[in-house]
Amino acid sequence: MATARRRALPRWTTTTTLGLSLLAVGLTAYLTITHYTDPTALACPDTGIVNCTAVTTSSWSVILGVPVALIGLLWAASMTALNSSWAWRSSARWLDAARLVLSGAGALMVFYLVYVELFRVDAICLWCTGVHVTTIALFGVILAARASLVTGASGAGPSGRTDGSRRSGRSGTRGRRTRSLAP
Amino acid sequence: MAKAPSGSGRSARPVRPNSAGTSASRVPKNQSTQSEPSTQSGQSGQAGPSRPAVARRNAPPPASGIALFRRRHPMMSALVPVALVVLAVVALVVVKATGGAGGTPAASKVAAGSSTAATAGTSALPSGVLANVTSVSPTTLSAIGQPSATAAPTSTGAKTGLTASNGKAEILFIGAEYCPYCAAERWSVVEALSRFGTFSGLSATHSSTSDVYPDTQTFSFYGATYASTSLDFTSVELETNQASGDSYTTLQTPTSAEDGILAKYDKAPYTTQPGSIPFLDIDNKYISVGAGYSPQVLQGLSMQQIAAQLNDKSSAVAVAIDGEANRIAAAITAATGAQPLSATAAATSTAAATSTATTTSTATTTAGS
Repeated sequence: MATARRRALPRWTTTTTLGLSLLAVGLTAYLTITHYTDPTALACPDTGIVNCTAVTTSSWSVILGVPVALIGLLWAASMTALNSSWAWRSSARWLDAARLVLSGAGALMVFYLVYVELFRVDAICLWCTGVHVTTIALFGVILAARASLVTGASGAGPSGRTDGSRRSGRSGTRGRRTRSLAP
Repeated sequence: MAKAPSGSGRSARPVRPNSAGTSASRVPKNQSTQSEPSTQSGQSGQAGPSRPAVARRNAPPPASGIALFRRRHPMMSALVPVALVVLAVVALVVVKATGGAGGTPAASKVAAGSSTAATAGTSALPSGVLANVTSVSPTTLSAIGQPSATAAPTSTGAKTGLTASNGKAEILFIGAEYCPYCAAERWSVVEALSRFGTFSGLSATHSSTSDVYPDTQTFSFYGATYASTSLDFTSVELETNQASGDSYTTLQTPTSAEDGILAKYDKAPYTTQPGSIPFLDIDNKYISVGAGYSPQVLQGLSMQQIAAQLNDKSSAVAVAIDGEANRIAAAITAATGAQPLSATAAATSTAAATSTATTTSTATTTAGS
Protein backbone atom coordinates (compact mmCIF):
# COMPACT_ATOMS: atom_id res chain seq x y z
CA MET A 1 0.00 0.00 0.00
CA ALA A 2 2.74 2.39 0.93
CA THR A 3 4.64 1.58 -2.21
CA ALA A 4 1.60 2.18 -4.31
CA ARG A 5 1.08 5.52 -2.59
CA ARG A 6 4.57 6.70 -3.27
CA ARG A 7 4.25 5.77 -6.89
CA ALA A 8 0.95 7.53 -7.25
CA LEU A 9 1.92 10.72 -5.41
CA PRO A 10 1.23 13.57 -7.79
CA ARG A 11 4.16 15.87 -8.25
CA TRP A 12 2.05 18.95 -7.69
CA THR A 13 1.15 17.80 -4.20
CA THR A 14 4.38 18.63 -2.47
CA THR A 15 4.84 21.83 -4.41
CA THR A 16 1.36 23.17 -3.73
CA THR A 17 1.04 22.13 -0.11
CA LEU A 18 4.53 23.34 0.73
CA GLY A 19 3.88 26.63 -1.03
CA LEU A 20 0.60 27.17 0.79
CA SER A 21 2.21 26.25 4.10
CA LEU A 22 5.03 28.71 3.58
CA LEU A 23 2.51 31.38 2.63
CA ALA A 24 0.67 30.68 5.87
CA VAL A 25 3.92 30.94 7.78
CA GLY A 26 4.60 34.34 6.22
CA LEU A 27 1.14 35.71 6.96
CA THR A 28 0.97 34.43 10.51
CA ALA A 29 4.52 35.57 11.23
CA TYR A 30 3.58 39.08 10.16
CA LEU A 31 0.48 39.00 12.38
CA THR A 32 2.49 37.64 15.29
CA ILE A 33 5.21 40.26 14.97
CA THR A 34 2.72 43.09 14.83
CA HIS A 35 0.85 41.61 17.77
CA TYR A 36 3.95 41.82 19.93
CA THR A 37 5.16 45.17 18.59
CA ASP A 38 2.48 47.55 17.39
CA PRO A 39 -0.90 46.04 16.47
CA THR A 40 -1.99 49.32 14.92
CA ALA A 41 0.88 49.16 12.44
CA LEU A 42 -0.82 46.47 10.33
CA ALA A 43 -0.91 47.51 6.70
CA CYS A 44 -4.67 47.37 6.42
CA PRO A 45 -7.47 49.86 5.83
CA ASP A 46 -9.66 50.64 8.83
CA THR A 47 -12.75 51.82 7.04
CA GLY A 48 -16.10 50.10 7.15
CA ILE A 49 -16.24 46.43 7.99
CA VAL A 50 -12.56 45.96 7.19
CA ASN A 51 -10.54 46.78 10.27
CA CYS A 52 -7.55 44.59 11.01
CA THR A 53 -6.58 46.33 14.23
CA ALA A 54 -10.04 45.97 15.70
CA VAL A 55 -9.70 42.23 15.22
CA THR A 56 -6.09 41.77 16.26
CA THR A 57 -6.44 43.92 19.37
CA SER A 58 -9.72 42.46 20.55
CA SER A 59 -9.96 40.23 23.57
CA TRP A 60 -10.75 37.43 21.12
CA SER A 61 -7.25 37.68 19.69
CA VAL A 62 -5.93 35.72 22.64
CA ILE A 63 -6.89 32.18 23.65
CA LEU A 64 -5.87 31.11 27.16
CA GLY A 65 -3.21 33.78 27.20
CA VAL A 66 -1.73 32.75 23.87
CA PRO A 67 -2.19 35.10 20.89
CA VAL A 68 -4.19 33.53 18.08
CA ALA A 69 -1.55 34.83 15.67
CA LEU A 70 1.11 32.81 17.49
CA ILE A 71 -1.08 29.72 17.46
CA GLY A 72 -1.47 30.22 13.73
CA LEU A 73 2.27 30.56 13.28
CA LEU A 74 2.94 27.34 15.16
CA TRP A 75 0.26 25.60 13.12
CA ALA A 76 1.71 26.88 9.85
CA ALA A 77 5.21 25.81 10.85
CA SER A 78 3.93 22.34 11.67
CA MET A 79 2.11 22.14 8.35
CA THR A 80 5.26 23.22 6.56
CA ALA A 81 7.14 20.33 8.10
CA LEU A 82 4.34 17.89 7.34
CA ASN A 83 4.13 19.06 3.76
CA SER A 84 7.82 18.90 3.01
CA SER A 85 8.83 16.55 0.23
CA TRP A 86 10.48 14.32 2.84
CA ALA A 87 7.24 14.04 4.79
CA TRP A 88 5.22 13.29 1.68
CA ARG A 89 7.68 10.58 0.63
CA SER A 90 7.68 9.00 4.05
CA SER A 91 5.60 5.87 4.48
CA ALA A 92 4.95 6.65 8.17
CA ARG A 93 1.22 6.54 8.62
CA TRP A 94 1.24 8.98 11.53
CA LEU A 95 2.56 11.70 9.25
CA ASP A 96 -0.41 11.24 6.97
CA ALA A 97 -2.77 11.25 9.93
CA ALA A 98 -1.16 14.31 11.48
CA ARG A 99 -1.33 16.16 8.19
CA LEU A 100 -5.00 15.36 7.82
CA VAL A 101 -5.90 16.16 11.43
CA LEU A 102 -3.98 19.42 11.53
CA SER A 103 -5.35 20.65 8.23
CA GLY A 104 -8.86 19.71 9.32
CA ALA A 105 -8.39 21.45 12.64
CA GLY A 106 -7.17 24.50 10.77
CA ALA A 107 -10.31 24.52 8.65
CA LEU A 108 -12.52 24.28 11.73
CA MET A 109 -10.56 27.06 13.39
CA VAL A 110 -11.18 29.21 10.33
CA PHE A 111 -14.90 28.74 10.78
CA TYR A 112 -14.65 29.76 14.44
CA LEU A 113 -12.50 32.80 13.72
CA VAL A 114 -14.77 34.01 10.92
CA TYR A 115 -17.68 33.71 13.32
CA VAL A 116 -15.79 35.78 15.90
CA GLU A 117 -14.90 38.41 13.34
CA LEU A 118 -18.43 38.75 12.02
CA PHE A 119 -20.47 38.41 15.19
CA ARG A 120 -18.20 39.34 18.07
CA VAL A 121 -15.79 41.94 16.78
CA ASP A 122 -17.90 43.24 13.91
CA ALA A 123 -14.85 43.66 11.74
CA ILE A 124 -12.86 41.71 9.18
CA CYS A 125 -9.10 41.48 9.18
CA LEU A 126 -7.71 41.18 5.66
CA TRP A 127 -4.48 39.54 6.76
CA CYS A 128 -6.43 37.04 8.82
CA THR A 129 -8.65 36.38 5.82
CA GLY A 130 -5.53 35.65 3.83
CA VAL A 131 -4.57 33.03 6.39
CA HIS A 132 -8.10 31.63 6.32
CA VAL A 133 -8.15 31.25 2.56
CA THR A 134 -4.72 29.64 2.63
CA THR A 135 -5.84 27.23 5.34
CA ILE A 136 -8.97 26.15 3.48
CA ALA A 137 -6.99 25.76 0.26
CA LEU A 138 -4.38 23.68 2.06
CA PHE A 139 -7.08 21.47 3.52
CA GLY A 140 -8.57 20.99 0.07
CA VAL A 141 -5.27 20.21 -1.61
CA ILE A 142 -4.35 17.70 1.06
CA LEU A 143 -7.70 15.95 0.71
CA ALA A 144 -7.36 15.97 -3.06
CA ALA A 145 -3.86 14.58 -2.79
CA ARG A 146 -5.07 11.79 -0.56
CA ALA A 147 -7.87 11.05 -2.98
CA SER A 148 -5.44 10.90 -5.86
CA LEU A 149 -3.24 8.55 -3.85
CA VAL A 150 -6.14 6.20 -3.29
CA THR A 151 -7.16 6.47 -6.90
CA GLY A 152 -3.62 5.81 -8.01
CA ALA A 153 -3.31 2.80 -5.77
CA SER A 154 -6.63 1.31 -6.75
CA GLY A 155 -6.52 1.96 -10.42
CA ALA A 156 -2.97 3.00 -11.20
CA GLY A 157 -4.31 4.71 -14.24
CA PRO A 158 -7.15 4.19 -16.64
CA SER A 159 -5.90 0.80 -17.85
CA GLY A 160 -6.26 -0.64 -14.40
CA ARG A 161 -2.83 -2.26 -14.51
CA THR A 162 -1.42 -2.80 -11.08
CA ASP A 163 0.42 -6.03 -11.70
CA GLY A 164 1.60 -5.66 -15.26
CA SER A 165 -1.25 -7.67 -16.71
CA ARG A 166 -3.38 -6.38 -19.52
CA ARG A 167 -6.69 -7.57 -18.30
CA SER A 168 -8.16 -4.16 -18.37
CA GLY A 169 -11.80 -3.98 -19.02
CA ARG A 170 -12.55 -7.29 -17.41
CA SER A 171 -15.07 -6.75 -14.78
CA GLY A 172 -13.63 -9.51 -12.62
CA THR A 173 -10.24 -7.83 -12.49
CA ARG A 174 -11.77 -4.60 -11.51
CA GLY A 175 -13.82 -6.14 -8.77
CA ARG A 176 -10.87 -8.00 -7.32
CA ARG A 177 -8.74 -4.92 -7.22
CA THR A 178 -11.41 -2.99 -5.47
CA ARG A 179 -11.73 -5.62 -2.79
CA SER A 180 -8.01 -5.70 -2.17
CA LEU A 181 -8.00 -2.00 -1.42
CA ALA A 182 -10.86 -2.09 0.95
CA PRO A 183 -9.70 -0.98 4.38
CA MET B 1 -17.23 -10.42 -23.43
CA ALA B 2 -20.81 -9.74 -24.16
CA LYS B 3 -21.92 -6.28 -24.83
CA ALA B 4 -23.98 -4.53 -22.30
CA PRO B 5 -27.47 -3.58 -23.21
CA SER B 6 -27.69 -0.35 -25.01
CA GLY B 7 -27.95 2.48 -22.58
CA SER B 8 -26.86 0.51 -19.57
CA GLY B 9 -23.45 2.21 -19.47
CA ARG B 10 -21.22 1.39 -16.55
CA SER B 11 -23.98 0.01 -14.44
CA ALA B 12 -23.41 -3.44 -15.98
CA ARG B 13 -19.80 -3.43 -14.81
CA PRO B 14 -20.03 -5.71 -11.76
CA VAL B 15 -21.75 -8.52 -13.61
CA ARG B 16 -19.61 -11.38 -14.79
CA PRO B 17 -20.56 -14.13 -17.24
CA ASN B 18 -22.10 -17.08 -15.51
CA SER B 19 -20.87 -20.62 -15.81
CA ALA B 20 -23.40 -21.52 -18.43
CA GLY B 21 -22.08 -18.92 -20.70
CA THR B 22 -25.03 -16.71 -20.18
CA SER B 23 -24.01 -13.17 -20.55
CA ALA B 24 -24.81 -10.72 -17.85
CA SER B 25 -25.69 -8.37 -20.60
CA ARG B 26 -28.91 -10.20 -20.91
CA VAL B 27 -29.73 -9.58 -17.34
CA PRO B 28 -31.79 -6.46 -17.00
CA LYS B 29 -29.96 -3.56 -15.50
CA ASN B 30 -32.17 -3.33 -12.51
CA GLN B 31 -31.45 -6.89 -11.54
CA SER B 32 -27.76 -7.14 -12.23
CA THR B 33 -26.78 -4.22 -10.06
CA GLN B 34 -29.10 -5.15 -7.22
CA SER B 35 -28.89 -1.68 -5.90
CA GLU B 36 -31.91 -0.53 -7.76
CA PRO B 37 -35.35 -2.02 -7.29
CA SER B 38 -37.13 -3.30 -10.30
CA THR B 39 -39.26 -0.74 -11.96
CA GLN B 40 -39.48 -2.16 -15.44
CA SER B 41 -41.96 -4.97 -15.27
CA GLY B 42 -41.52 -5.99 -18.86
CA GLN B 43 -37.79 -6.66 -18.55
CA SER B 44 -37.95 -8.36 -15.24
CA GLY B 45 -40.40 -10.77 -16.65
CA GLN B 46 -37.87 -11.87 -19.26
CA ALA B 47 -34.97 -12.32 -16.94
CA GLY B 48 -35.96 -15.56 -15.34
CA PRO B 49 -35.53 -16.42 -11.69
CA SER B 50 -32.02 -17.97 -11.79
CA ARG B 51 -30.11 -15.20 -13.44
CA PRO B 52 -30.44 -12.65 -10.72
CA ALA B 53 -29.16 -15.25 -8.28
CA VAL B 54 -25.99 -15.79 -10.32
CA ALA B 55 -25.46 -12.08 -10.59
CA ARG B 56 -25.80 -11.69 -6.85
CA ARG B 57 -23.14 -14.28 -6.11
CA ASN B 58 -20.56 -12.64 -8.34
CA ALA B 59 -21.29 -8.99 -7.97
CA PRO B 60 -19.59 -6.82 -5.32
CA PRO B 61 -21.60 -5.99 -2.22
CA PRO B 62 -24.50 -3.70 -2.93
CA ALA B 63 -23.51 -0.10 -2.90
CA SER B 64 -25.57 2.74 -1.54
CA GLY B 65 -25.89 5.94 -3.51
CA ILE B 66 -23.21 7.63 -1.44
CA ALA B 67 -20.82 4.71 -1.72
CA LEU B 68 -21.39 4.55 -5.44
CA PHE B 69 -20.67 8.25 -5.76
CA ARG B 70 -17.51 7.90 -3.70
CA ARG B 71 -16.36 5.03 -5.86
CA ARG B 72 -17.00 6.83 -9.10
CA HIS B 73 -15.86 10.29 -8.03
CA PRO B 74 -13.16 9.87 -5.38
CA MET B 75 -11.77 13.37 -5.92
CA MET B 76 -15.11 15.09 -5.57
CA SER B 77 -15.92 12.99 -2.54
CA ALA B 78 -12.66 13.96 -0.90
CA LEU B 79 -13.42 17.62 -1.34
CA VAL B 80 -16.82 17.40 0.33
CA PRO B 81 -15.39 18.46 3.76
CA VAL B 82 -13.83 21.50 2.14
CA ALA B 83 -17.10 22.35 0.49
CA LEU B 84 -18.87 22.03 3.83
CA VAL B 85 -16.45 24.42 5.52
CA VAL B 86 -16.74 26.90 2.68
CA LEU B 87 -20.52 26.65 2.76
CA ALA B 88 -20.53 27.18 6.52
CA VAL B 89 -18.39 30.29 6.17
CA VAL B 90 -20.58 31.59 3.36
CA ALA B 91 -23.62 30.96 5.55
CA LEU B 92 -22.06 33.07 8.30
CA VAL B 93 -21.44 35.88 5.86
CA VAL B 94 -24.98 35.68 4.53
CA VAL B 95 -26.48 35.70 8.01
CA LYS B 96 -24.32 38.65 8.92
CA ALA B 97 -25.20 40.52 5.74
CA THR B 98 -28.92 39.94 6.02
CA GLY B 99 -29.54 39.94 9.72
CA GLY B 100 -26.68 41.46 11.60
CA ALA B 101 -25.43 44.21 9.36
CA GLY B 102 -26.77 46.98 11.53
CA GLY B 103 -23.49 47.42 13.30
CA THR B 104 -21.34 47.89 10.23
CA PRO B 105 -18.57 50.17 11.38
CA ALA B 106 -18.18 53.56 9.85
CA ALA B 107 -15.04 55.47 10.54
CA SER B 108 -15.00 58.95 11.93
CA LYS B 109 -11.97 61.01 12.53
CA VAL B 110 -10.73 60.76 16.08
CA ALA B 111 -7.40 59.95 17.61
CA ALA B 112 -6.95 56.84 15.54
CA GLY B 113 -10.23 55.94 13.91
CA SER B 114 -13.48 54.79 15.34
CA SER B 115 -16.59 52.97 14.39
CA THR B 116 -20.03 51.97 15.49
CA ALA B 117 -21.72 49.30 17.57
CA ALA B 118 -21.85 49.09 21.34
CA THR B 119 -24.05 47.48 23.83
CA ALA B 120 -24.08 48.73 27.39
CA GLY B 121 -23.72 52.38 28.30
CA THR B 122 -22.54 53.45 31.70
CA SER B 123 -22.96 51.42 34.83
CA ALA B 124 -22.16 51.68 38.49
CA LEU B 125 -18.47 51.72 39.32
CA PRO B 126 -17.34 48.34 40.67
CA SER B 127 -16.49 48.51 44.34
CA GLY B 128 -12.89 49.14 45.25
CA VAL B 129 -11.87 50.43 41.84
CA LEU B 130 -11.75 54.13 42.71
CA ALA B 131 -10.07 53.32 46.02
CA ASN B 132 -7.31 51.46 44.22
CA VAL B 133 -6.83 54.26 41.72
CA THR B 134 -6.58 56.96 44.37
CA SER B 135 -4.34 55.07 46.76
CA VAL B 136 -1.38 54.10 44.64
CA SER B 137 1.69 54.06 46.84
CA PRO B 138 4.06 57.04 46.41
CA THR B 139 6.85 54.46 46.38
CA THR B 140 5.30 52.86 43.33
CA LEU B 141 4.76 56.23 41.69
CA SER B 142 8.39 57.20 42.30
CA ALA B 143 9.66 53.88 41.02
CA ILE B 144 7.64 54.18 37.83
CA GLY B 145 8.35 57.86 37.27
CA GLN B 146 7.67 59.05 33.75
CA PRO B 147 8.41 56.06 31.52
CA SER B 148 9.19 56.51 27.87
CA ALA B 149 6.17 54.38 27.03
CA THR B 150 3.98 57.30 28.01
CA ALA B 151 3.60 60.71 26.36
CA ALA B 152 3.96 64.02 28.12
CA PRO B 153 1.56 66.89 27.59
CA THR B 154 2.98 69.55 25.32
CA SER B 155 3.61 73.07 26.56
CA THR B 156 1.76 75.78 24.72
CA GLY B 157 4.00 78.54 25.99
CA ALA B 158 0.91 80.52 26.93
CA LYS B 159 1.35 83.10 29.69
CA THR B 160 -2.32 83.34 30.58
CA GLY B 161 -4.03 80.33 32.07
CA LEU B 162 -7.53 79.02 31.61
CA THR B 163 -9.56 80.22 34.54
CA ALA B 164 -12.91 78.79 35.53
CA SER B 165 -15.81 80.94 36.69
CA ASN B 166 -14.88 80.11 40.27
CA GLY B 167 -11.44 81.55 39.76
CA LYS B 168 -9.57 78.25 39.82
CA ALA B 169 -7.27 76.98 37.15
CA GLU B 170 -9.26 74.83 34.78
CA ILE B 171 -8.51 71.39 33.43
CA LEU B 172 -10.61 70.54 30.37
CA PHE B 173 -11.10 67.01 29.10
CA ILE B 174 -12.97 66.31 25.88
CA GLY B 175 -13.58 62.72 24.87
CA ALA B 176 -16.28 60.21 24.04
CA GLU B 177 -17.32 56.97 25.63
CA TYR B 178 -16.91 54.90 22.45
CA CYS B 179 -13.31 56.07 21.98
CA PRO B 180 -10.72 53.49 23.17
CA TYR B 181 -7.95 56.06 23.47
CA CYS B 182 -10.17 58.19 25.67
CA ALA B 183 -10.84 55.08 27.73
CA ALA B 184 -7.14 54.59 28.33
CA GLU B 185 -6.45 58.24 29.06
CA ARG B 186 -9.28 58.53 31.60
CA TRP B 187 -7.55 56.12 33.96
CA SER B 188 -4.55 58.41 34.19
CA VAL B 189 -6.64 61.57 34.33
CA VAL B 190 -8.67 60.20 37.24
CA GLU B 191 -5.54 59.08 39.04
CA ALA B 192 -3.70 62.36 38.44
CA LEU B 193 -6.59 64.65 39.37
CA SER B 194 -7.35 62.56 42.46
CA ARG B 195 -4.00 63.72 43.83
CA PHE B 196 -5.35 67.30 43.80
CA GLY B 197 -8.98 66.75 44.68
CA THR B 198 -11.83 64.29 44.90
CA PHE B 199 -14.09 62.79 42.28
CA SER B 200 -17.66 61.76 42.99
CA GLY B 201 -20.30 60.30 40.75
CA LEU B 202 -17.86 58.53 38.46
CA SER B 203 -19.41 55.63 36.60
CA ALA B 204 -18.10 52.73 34.60
CA THR B 205 -18.23 52.42 30.85
CA HIS B 206 -16.29 50.87 28.02
CA SER B 207 -15.16 51.78 24.56
CA SER B 208 -16.91 50.58 21.45
CA THR B 209 -16.92 46.83 21.01
CA SER B 210 -16.20 47.15 17.30
CA ASP B 211 -13.49 49.78 17.28
CA VAL B 212 -9.78 49.25 17.74
CA TYR B 213 -8.94 48.04 21.25
CA PRO B 214 -12.60 47.13 21.62
CA ASP B 215 -14.43 47.09 24.90
CA THR B 216 -11.69 48.83 26.84
CA GLN B 217 -12.96 49.20 30.39
CA THR B 218 -12.83 52.67 31.86
CA PHE B 219 -14.52 55.49 33.80
CA SER B 220 -17.08 57.86 32.40
CA PHE B 221 -16.91 61.51 33.43
CA TYR B 222 -20.54 62.00 32.46
CA GLY B 223 -22.47 62.97 35.55
CA ALA B 224 -19.37 63.10 37.75
CA THR B 225 -18.24 66.05 39.83
CA TYR B 226 -14.80 67.08 40.99
CA ALA B 227 -13.91 69.07 44.10
CA SER B 228 -10.51 70.64 44.65
CA THR B 229 -9.17 73.65 46.46
CA SER B 230 -7.02 74.72 43.55
CA LEU B 231 -8.36 73.19 40.39
CA ASP B 232 -11.57 73.09 38.41
CA PHE B 233 -12.24 70.13 36.17
CA THR B 234 -14.60 70.24 33.21
CA SER B 235 -15.32 67.28 31.01
CA VAL B 236 -17.27 66.89 27.82
CA GLU B 237 -18.20 63.37 26.73
CA LEU B 238 -19.25 64.04 23.18
CA GLU B 239 -20.92 60.71 22.45
CA THR B 240 -21.91 57.49 24.13
CA ASN B 241 -20.82 54.05 23.05
CA GLN B 242 -24.29 53.43 21.63
CA ALA B 243 -24.40 53.19 17.86
CA SER B 244 -26.69 55.56 16.06
CA GLY B 245 -26.62 55.20 12.31
CA ASP B 246 -23.08 55.77 11.14
CA SER B 247 -22.04 57.38 14.40
CA TYR B 248 -22.90 57.29 18.10
CA THR B 249 -25.56 58.84 20.23
CA THR B 250 -24.66 62.39 21.16
CA LEU B 251 -24.12 62.83 24.87
CA GLN B 252 -22.77 66.32 25.51
CA THR B 253 -22.08 69.30 23.29
CA PRO B 254 -19.12 71.63 23.88
CA THR B 255 -19.82 75.27 24.65
CA SER B 256 -18.68 77.89 22.22
CA ALA B 257 -15.75 78.64 24.51
CA GLU B 258 -14.74 75.00 24.51
CA ASP B 259 -15.13 74.87 20.74
CA GLY B 260 -12.78 77.83 20.57
CA ILE B 261 -10.20 75.98 22.67
CA LEU B 262 -10.50 72.95 20.43
CA ALA B 263 -10.09 75.09 17.34
CA LYS B 264 -7.00 76.70 18.83
CA TYR B 265 -5.20 73.71 20.30
CA ASP B 266 -6.55 70.52 18.75
CA LYS B 267 -4.23 70.80 15.80
CA ALA B 268 -0.54 70.90 14.97
CA PRO B 269 1.89 71.02 16.67
CA TYR B 270 -0.07 69.28 19.43
CA THR B 271 -1.37 66.59 17.13
CA THR B 272 -0.89 65.43 13.59
CA GLN B 273 -4.62 64.74 13.33
CA PRO B 274 -6.60 67.93 14.00
CA GLY B 275 -9.89 67.39 15.78
CA SER B 276 -8.74 64.26 17.57
CA ILE B 277 -9.84 63.08 20.98
CA PRO B 278 -9.07 62.60 23.80
CA PHE B 279 -8.19 66.25 24.24
CA LEU B 280 -6.77 67.42 27.56
CA ASP B 281 -6.14 71.09 28.24
CA ILE B 282 -4.24 71.88 31.42
CA ASP B 283 -4.82 75.54 32.12
CA ASN B 284 -4.15 76.31 28.46
CA LYS B 285 -0.47 75.81 29.26
CA TYR B 286 -0.18 72.13 28.49
CA ILE B 287 -2.06 70.23 25.84
CA SER B 288 -2.37 66.51 25.40
CA VAL B 289 -4.11 65.06 22.37
CA GLY B 290 -4.54 61.31 22.12
CA ALA B 291 -3.78 58.64 24.68
CA GLY B 292 -0.48 58.79 26.49
CA TYR B 293 -0.07 55.03 26.15
CA SER B 294 -1.45 52.20 24.08
CA PRO B 295 -4.86 50.84 25.16
CA GLN B 296 -3.46 47.43 24.28
CA VAL B 297 -2.25 46.95 27.85
CA LEU B 298 -5.83 47.11 29.08
CA GLN B 299 -7.27 44.61 26.61
CA GLY B 300 -9.35 41.87 28.11
CA LEU B 301 -9.07 43.27 31.63
CA SER B 302 -11.97 44.23 33.84
CA MET B 303 -11.91 47.46 35.83
CA GLN B 304 -11.13 45.51 38.99
CA GLN B 305 -8.25 43.73 37.32
CA ILE B 306 -6.82 46.99 36.02
CA ALA B 307 -7.20 48.78 39.33
CA ALA B 308 -5.68 45.89 41.25
CA GLN B 309 -2.44 46.18 39.28
CA LEU B 310 -1.83 49.89 39.79
CA ASN B 311 0.26 49.35 42.90
CA ASP B 312 2.52 46.82 41.21
CA LYS B 313 5.44 48.70 39.70
CA SER B 314 6.38 45.66 37.61
CA SER B 315 2.96 45.57 35.95
CA ALA B 316 2.69 46.92 32.42
CA VAL B 317 -0.71 48.29 33.38
CA ALA B 318 0.78 50.23 36.29
CA VAL B 319 3.68 51.51 34.22
CA ALA B 320 1.27 52.82 31.60
CA ILE B 321 -1.44 54.31 33.81
CA ASP B 322 0.70 55.48 36.73
CA GLY B 323 3.38 56.76 34.38
CA GLU B 324 0.92 58.80 32.35
CA ALA B 325 -0.71 60.03 35.57
CA ASN B 326 2.70 61.18 36.79
CA ARG B 327 3.17 63.17 33.60
CA ILE B 328 -0.26 64.79 33.85
CA ALA B 329 0.20 65.60 37.53
CA ALA B 330 3.60 67.08 36.82
CA ALA B 331 2.12 69.23 34.06
CA ILE B 332 -0.65 70.39 36.40
CA THR B 333 1.87 71.39 39.04
CA ALA B 334 4.07 73.09 36.47
CA ALA B 335 1.12 74.95 34.93
CA THR B 336 -0.84 75.95 38.00
CA GLY B 337 1.48 75.53 40.94
CA ALA B 338 -1.08 73.26 42.57
CA GLN B 339 0.33 70.66 44.89
CA PRO B 340 -0.96 67.13 45.39
CA LEU B 341 -2.79 66.51 48.65
CA SER B 342 -0.41 63.75 49.72
CA ALA B 343 2.94 65.07 50.90
CA THR B 344 4.89 62.22 49.34
CA ALA B 345 2.95 62.45 46.12
CA ALA B 346 3.51 66.16 46.21
CA ALA B 347 7.25 65.65 46.40
CA THR B 348 7.06 63.27 43.47
CA SER B 349 4.89 65.64 41.51
CA THR B 350 7.03 68.65 42.28
CA ALA B 351 10.19 66.87 41.24
CA ALA B 352 8.49 65.71 38.09
CA ALA B 353 7.09 69.16 37.48
CA THR B 354 10.56 70.63 37.69
CA SER B 355 11.68 68.11 35.13
CA THR B 356 8.65 68.84 32.99
CA ALA B 357 9.23 72.57 33.20
CA THR B 358 12.86 72.13 32.25
CA THR B 359 11.91 69.98 29.32
CA THR B 360 9.25 72.45 28.34
CA SER B 361 11.66 75.30 28.53
CA THR B 362 14.07 73.48 26.32
CA ALA B 363 11.36 72.57 23.89
CA THR B 364 10.07 76.10 23.80
CA THR B 365 13.53 77.45 23.22
CA THR B 366 14.09 74.97 20.46
CA ALA B 367 10.77 75.81 18.89
CA GLY B 368 11.49 79.50 19.24
CA SER B 369 14.87 79.23 17.63
